[in-house]
Amino acid sequence: MQARPRVVVTGLGVVTSVGVGVDAFWSAILTGRSGIGPVESFDSSRYAVHVGGEVKTFDPSQHVQRLDPKSMARASHLAIAAARLALADARVDPASLDPVTCGVSLGTTSGEPTMIEWFNDHEISGARDRIGGEFIGRYPCHVLAAHVASEFGFSGPNVVIPTACAAGNYALANAVDNIRNDDAEVMLAGGSDAFSRITYTGFARLGAIAPERCQPFDKNRKGMIPGEGAAVLVLERLDRARARGARVYAELVGYGLTCDAHHMTAPQGDGAARAMQLAMADAGITPETVGYISAHGTGTAVNDRIETLAVKQAFGDLAPKVPMSSIKSMLGHTMGAASAIEAAACVLAVRDDKLPPTINYETADPECDLDYVPNAARSSTVEVAMNNAYAFGGNNASVLFRKCQA
Amino acid sequence: MSGVVITGTGAICALGDKPSVIHAALCAGVPAFAPSAIVPADVVPGHHVAEIRDFDAQKYLGAGNIRPLDRTGRIAAVGVELTLADAGWTKELRQTRAFGLILGTMFCSVRTISEFDRRAQQAGVEYASPMDFSNTVLNAAAGQVAIWHKLRGVNSTIAAGASSGLHAVGYAAKLIRTGRADALVAGGAEEICFESLLGFSRAGFLAAPDGNAPGCSVPFDKRRRGAALGEGAAFLALESESAAQSRGAKVLGRVLGFGAAYDAGARVNGGGTAAALTHAITRALKDAGAAPGDIGVVSASAHGGRTLDAREASAIASTVGSSVPVTAVKAGLGEMLGAAGPMQTAMALESMRTGTLPGVTGLGDLDPEIRLAASASSRPLSAKRALVTAIAPEGNCCALVVSLD
Repeated sequence: MQARPRVVVTGLGVVTSVGVGVDAFWSAILTGRSGIGPVESFDSSRYAVHVGGEVKTFDPSQHVQRLDPKSMARASHLAIAAARLALADARVDPASLDPVTCGVSLGTTSGEPTMIEWFNDHEISGARDRIGGEFIGRYPCHVLAAHVASEFGFSGPNVVIPTACAAGNYALANAVDNIRNDDAEVMLAGGSDAFSRITYTGFARLGAIAPERCQPFDKNRKGMIPGEGAAVLVLERLDRARARGARVYAELVGYGLTCDAHHMTAPQGDGAARAMQLAMADAGITPETVGYISAHGTGTAVNDRIETLAVKQAFGDLAPKVPMSSIKSMLGHTMGAASAIEAAACVLAVRDDKLPPTINYETADPECDLDYVPNAARSSTVEVAMNNAYAFGGNNASVLFRKCQA
Repeated sequence: MSGVVITGTGAICALGDKPSVIHAALCAGVPAFAPSAIVPADVVPGHHVAEIRDFDAQKYLGAGNIRPLDRTGRIAAVGVELTLADAGWTKELRQTRAFGLILGTMFCSVRTISEFDRRAQQAGVEYASPMDFSNTVLNAAAGQVAIWHKLRGVNSTIAAGASSGLHAVGYAAKLIRTGRADALVAGGAEEICFESLLGFSRAGFLAAPDGNAPGCSVPFDKRRRGAALGEGAAFLALESESAAQSRGAKVLGRVLGFGAAYDAGARVNGGGTAAALTHAITRALKDAGAAPGDIGVVSASAHGGRTLDAREASAIASTVGSSVPVTAVKAGLGEMLGAAGPMQTAMALESMRTGTLPGVTGLGDLDPEIRLAASASSRPLSAKRALVTAIAPEGNCCALVVSLD
């Protein structure tokens, strides 16, 4: 069998509550800075909780240049910004590329939920007459990838995979396949989600939002905290990257996707373990090679307990020896963007042999007894980083990044 | 690369709940459009839609609590149930093998999301239902259907606007070809609701009513002024050649090739061209190892839009020529958005199997700009390979090549 083409990461673009751009993001993550603060994008007085992980220093017009920033909503702004940063980081001039060889694959949980809020604000206030073409033009989630492609003139494969909180990983997996199947040479892949009262309401009603801090794996963890952001990775074939003298961060060596088929919101564990095992088999590696796991680690009682069990199922006796942390402790849960942002963290962990910490970790939980890299970043060799993400609907996805060898 | 065989199909829409029944109704030109029974008449006065009337999911899904499933979830669950039954993917088989689901949808349920928010805004946050919240994610239908039918393999939702469903089929076929899965249900589902009907109307996407009569939404017709909405679900059971062989499955056809592209001009100052769909068709033909002359029939996505129909026709004519028989099933079924592509595919397979191609219902005056072999009435067809195309207003384009044998 012919060896399948190798796909590498050559650019990263991140827009988060702790920093915009790779360097700002990574230095904030390694110093354990939290992006959680009082909610500003809507009035939170009607809720029992008031904190979120909003991106507060962000000017769409700096990033959205070809399109009119006013013609789209926030998740598109975040996605275009991440894409522009990623292309610059990869030292790729979009104009120099053959457009049909460049595609976009993005994940999201909610698409542009603020457009539904806009629709409802009109409807509720009796202003239905003022609902125009903007709703259909800006709301449906596939416009995220459409906007990114339009901004850069890319006419290759274009899709959004809205598999909720695992969407970023699904989008990365699809992008790798697009390149391996020769449907594209360069893919912009990642995820984007905007802060929204709909998401906030939902998690508040589930009783899942922590009042102050997100404390993944801590015995006294009180829940997740909704956030927002975007990350885009530039993926291309290794030989292409080499030929243009690109800096290669890491190789995307494998992925695994499964479904619990068990419950919409309660994770089951077996599906997550199967996704990890599928990813390792896909990459042709054994658990010993994995030097870091980026956990889904939302900070809810159930997720962190079940996720710990799933890692034990997949890694067996090795599980306590594999460091696993959750940057959601700093960013909150950025929904469909989360696994894309965490993928960027994995890639940087592989590059620098540095592990992001799980901050706010104080009290060990007997049911969560692995190495969660508590509170401080750590230097440790990372040959392979595993990026885990789980979602409503029972969707599980694991993606593996490896140091790129000759 | 292993081949991808189609071992089952299932569909539900305004014209029936079985591909053969829907095909026969299309061939007979049975009218599907009427004022909406779901959306109050004053929302978009005069518009007609193709709804599933008196939809009773329980009739198909049997006993069991369907309350957690919203309308899109139920339509999808029924479509998948019909497909699993047709393919012989029994409950017992699903316990031992991890079947997957690839669901294309433009909105999942924009109605569920919107109503959840409206309730929170109007009655108060504490009145918004947590159960409804789990259906506000855009993969809710895929998740609910996986739970209902115990589909534990790959579970993806694909969003590419009106091309979502066809894209889902192509995505699934590639997962099978590359050995990532050996059995997937792939297709799409969409519901008609207040939010989408009002939204599309306000966006000028729908054919405006002509006095008391609905506006002309006939694909390729010179008088066409926009689309009419439809709803439903359509799915294919896709299997690797070896998996199908080993269980002695009946083979309805094969997925030979897929191609996708994006029209990067579509959202910029009303630009856009036929180049992206042309490229997608060319890719699909190449992927299928097929020459343009191998294509015996085209199942187009035309819905009555002035620009898009013309653009699609131009791409088809420039790739497979102007003499290949073409049909556009949205003439009879409405714009089913995410469900459209798989429905076009199921109808192409049914047309090749029966040797009868449905006409473009209502086509009275073929637009001279549309240089395609389309006709109003059904006609005999002798074809073994079909091209299925999808073009969405936002620029998403894709094409699929399927064969009978």
